[in-house]
Amino acid sequence: MKTKFALYPIALFTAFSLTQAFAHHSFLAEFDPDSPIEIEGTVIKVEWTNPHTYFFIEVESEDGDFEEWALEMGSPNGLTRRGWRRDTLKVGDIVTVTGTAARDGRAKANAETVVLDTGQRLFAGTSRPDFVEDNN
Amino acid sequence: MLLQCIKKLIAVAAIVVLHFSISGTTLAQPPGPELDRTIPTPRLNDGKIDFGGDGVWSLPYIRNFADRIVGGDENSAVPFLPWTEAMHEYNASNNVAYDPEGFCLPPGGPRSMATPYPAEIIQHRDRIIIIFEGGGHVWREIHMDGREHPDLETYVPSYFGHSVGHWENDTLVVDTVGYNEKTWLDFGGHMHSDQLHTIEYFTRTDKNTLHYEATIDDPGAYTEPWTIAWDINWSEGQELADYICQENNKYLIDLVDDFGNPFFESTPVAR
Repeated sequence: MKTKFALYPIALFTAFSLTQAFAHHSFLAEFDPDSPIEIEGTVIKVEWTNPHTYFFIEVESEDGDFEEWALEMGSPNGLTRRGWRRDTLKVGDIVTVTGTAARDGRAKANAETVVLDTGQRLFAGTSRPDFVEDNN
Repeated sequence: MLLQCIKKLIAVAAIVVLHFSISGTTLAQPPGPELDRTIPTPRLNDGKIDFGGDGVWSLPYIRNFADRIVGGDENSAVPFLPWTEAMHEYNASNNVAYDPEGFCLPPGGPRSMATPYPAEIIQHRDRIIIIFEGGGHVWREIHMDGREHPDLETYVPSYFGHSVGHWENDTLVVDTVGYNEKTWLDFGGHMHSDQLHTIEYFTRTDKNTLHYEATIDDPGAYTEPWTIAWDINWSEGQELADYICQENNKYLIDLVDDFGNPFFESTPVAR
């Protein structure tokens, strides 16, 4: 399984400056901030929907099995304001995703960054509380 | 042991270098420009304050109204009645899982000015309309024609209630009653009753700043009125975008109650 628990300091990402927060439902009710993940897989579906954009990746385990992960991102309006376009993430892309795993143990996570195999790093519009600040 | 520590330090340093070296390709929001607070407040032909322009108001994310109390001493606290204090504790205990705005219901009241999506304020001769991108594409209407509130014995309570406004010098004052009880005051789980009465003050102190203040007067939920305030930034050149919250709210599908049962008996939205 290529899922691994991230060791990097969260403070790395405070470099992202947000002037508009992503907010909808309670992040902490759905995701466990004590369960950071880093997974690598192939994009099999992208859903540009509200209130959250989702993409799904197929992750290969060490024994060769495949598991489908659902990754929650910000809303389409917020992502496009940050430069996302319809073709930013495409089916077939190989990506490395860091984020926070769901509390219920299913293969679902809130994505924070998506790194394409080209090396391009994308902010995924997480609603994690310590990612967002009042803009005044 | 020492070698392991050094390896970890090198790994962390490499990540830091990598992070900053590729920041040019990052699609994160770049730091916002410093706003000029000296540009005069725009005015309409009749001299009234103009809340519009080529842009939108970038509403801030105010999660806890208790942090924004003004008008008291530094120890001012939310003047809870026992039931609102108990409910606030309960809501915190489950990470505000049952926040109505998470269900894609409207924010209602002052929370509409603290839900972090853009908004536009449109001024007509006899009414002012605020359009909110967030909160599921909702709007509120403020009557400026001098009418009074309706009889609350017959008025059907609503998410935004019944609002009438007037000018006090350069401040728009909005008085609202007739709220239903289907919203929370804030993300943090402060609740209210249908006796909620709000008085809001909108002051565009310069082109880029909207000072917002709201008094929460709810004898059914709090022992005395309390007032909150914050500033809202103008975002020049920005436009409202689509945000249809109820489209694919997967959160609702998985939400369970305190006993682990589905919160909603049937699936309310397409999976």
